[in-house]
Amino acid sequence: MSAGKGDIKLDGLVKRYGEVVAVNGIDLDVPGGEFFTMLGPSGCGKTTTLRLIAGFERPDEGEILLDGVDMSRTPPHRRNVNTVFQSYALFPHKTVEENVGFGLRYQKVSKADAARRVGEAMELVRLGGLGHRKPGQLSGGQQQRVALARALVLEPPVLLLDEPLGALDARLRIDLQVELKRIQETLEVTFIYVTHDQDEALTMSDRVAVMRNGNIEQCGPPQELYEEPSTAFVANFLGASNLVPVQAAADGAGGAQLTLGNFTLVAAECAGDLRGDALAMIRPERVRLEPHGTTGENRMPGMVEEVVYLGFHQDVRVRLATGALIRVDVPNDGDAIEYEQGNAVSVHLPPRYLRVLETDEPAPTDQPDAAPAEVS
Amino acid sequence: MTDTTALERGIGAAPSRARRRRFQWRDPWGHPRGLALVTWIYILWSIVPVLLAIRFAFNSGRSRSAAQGWSLRWFWKDPNLSVFHDPTLSSALQQSLTLAFFAMLIATPLGVALALGLQRWRGPGSGTANVLTLLPLVTPELVFAVGLFLLFTTAFKVIGLGTTAQVIGHVTFSMSFVVVIVRGRLATIGGDLEEAAADLGAPPWDVVRRILVPLLLPAIAASLLIVFALSIDDFVVSQYLASGADTTTVPMRIYAQARAAPTPALNALATIMLTVTLLALGLAYLVFRLMTRGEGGGSAIGQLAGIEAGIDAGGSK
Repeated sequence: MSAGKGDIKLDGLVKRYGEVVAVNGIDLDVPGGEFFTMLGPSGCGKTTTLRLIAGFERPDEGEILLDGVDMSRTPPHRRNVNTVFQSYALFPHKTVEENVGFGLRYQKVSKADAARRVGEAMELVRLGGLGHRKPGQLSGGQQQRVALARALVLEPPVLLLDEPLGALDARLRIDLQVELKRIQETLEVTFIYVTHDQDEALTMSDRVAVMRNGNIEQCGPPQELYEEPSTAFVANFLGASNLVPVQAAADGAGGAQLTLGNFTLVAAECAGDLRGDALAMIRPERVRLEPHGTTGENRMPGMVEEVVYLGFHQDVRVRLATGALIRVDVPNDGDAIEYEQGNAVSVHLPPRYLRVLETDEPAPTDQPDAAPAEVS
Repeated sequence: MTDTTALERGIGAAPSRARRRRFQWRDPWGHPRGLALVTWIYILWSIVPVLLAIRFAFNSGRSRSAAQGWSLRWFWKDPNLSVFHDPTLSSALQQSLTLAFFAMLIATPLGVALALGLQRWRGPGSGTANVLTLLPLVTPELVFAVGLFLLFTTAFKVIGLGTTAQVIGHVTFSMSFVVVIVRGRLATIGGDLEEAAADLGAPPWDVVRRILVPLLLPAIAASLLIVFALSIDDFVVSQYLASGADTTTVPMRIYAQARAAPTPALNALATIMLTVTLLALGLAYLVFRLMTRGEGGGSAIGQLAGIEAGIDAGGSK
């Protein structure tokens, strides 16, 4: 719908605030029309990166290329990207229509054309009939739509979204996630989306970059990040993970032998050539609980320490004989075996679901959902 | 005796008075009658003298303490002694209005600029500057006036004492109030709106013209009126920087004449001043409310609190 394709390329982008390095040399290639998400906890540099692309901050080093042209020294009002703010940033003294039409004044558009485009943008976000209201008279979800229409009416090749759903309640959030994805696919605009909510990232994105301390920790399609996290941090930030410290040794067949106390586990695959201290990682929903006494490969005895009933599944925490705690998701399929505190069980960690990761120096955050609002 | 004990147990139809009182004292949901009483006593204490002063402005006789009928004699009916006809009183009124007018027109734009600068200035020194800007709010006015007096009689002899010095003095102390009001408003506006406007393609000057100024208007209007009210009320700075009879303001005139030959014309003058000040503050409040209508409760209320703080601080000057 616009001249450029909307390719964004970041090349060695660095931003420092005094001693603090907010963005630490990011390289990124986002092809036009992609829904790209930057995911990470507060202070990981995702918002700063977005603000650098928008032009609100000046990078200390590096280039920002839009369709091959460096725009890192272009002031924000001359950049062909638009932003949807977390706070919506609607102009309170202007009506919804005036808000949506604000940017058209700076494009060579006739009055009739402008009115038509404002109407179309409002239809696109399903806001027809609210044009004469002031933003203060709208609900949070409606304000969010106005902010979206105001940016989309300019037909930017790239739209930047800074936690646009952060201030909405859970139900509305899910509705708008679906709608954002619909709009993005209809218009084929590049979306660069910042969030700390893993569900949002998984639901909508073509690709996700998990960020930490100003760096991209891992970047790929949601499925790849979830199935094959390359670091303990990513494993923990996207979904829940069991991370058990082990001694790793190559088994000569592409996999690894993991020593955990007196037990030896087998992992079917082992990326890299990990030896010595490592972390065995497995998703809670892939651990199997079997009756006490079951033996075999990758089975270890343990004792149920806690059972949390969560409706659609049970979160069972099992203490292994070695002292490690394993979380197991037992689906509530109607006839699941009930576990109780103190039950002795056998824990089965299927080799193909075990991943071997490097040990992570700082303790990874356990609850990414509980991360406070983005402040960076 | 049996009766009382029965009542005290709460069995009787009506509990004893002592019991009821104790119950009220312990009842956290009850109406806070004691607090209301103290509040009303304070309000009466502070307002009655003012009302009495106003009443004598309308006295027919010469007395400022004995009721002698009602008239508008001291406002303009009396051919020699009324505010309107006594040249010393009317010139004082004129001087006060002149000072307030210029103070208002100069302090407001300067204060807005200062507020914007302080809001944006990040880095070493900005914290200190922030505090120092607000210092005039708490500096004893006498100290402030003595300082200015020295300045205009030594370093800035070119300007010297007189109307110009008085205007500069008023501008200096009232700017802090403008800064407080405008910064409060800037904080509620937030930086996002300016960034959003730039993001949508507005060049810097358009951001100011189409976003910042319209949103600051309520604060600007409120500032104008509050500077006016502060200036017209001022005694100490006006007194120190005055150069003679033609630079005498209303508060100075009232103070001087109260010692010499007071007539109810002074009360009339004070009444006029009070009315003008109240009108200015009332207008500031209304304008602000009207202009921030529909912005969503929180911001407007926060802003009003800021203005009221300004008015309160002004009142204690």
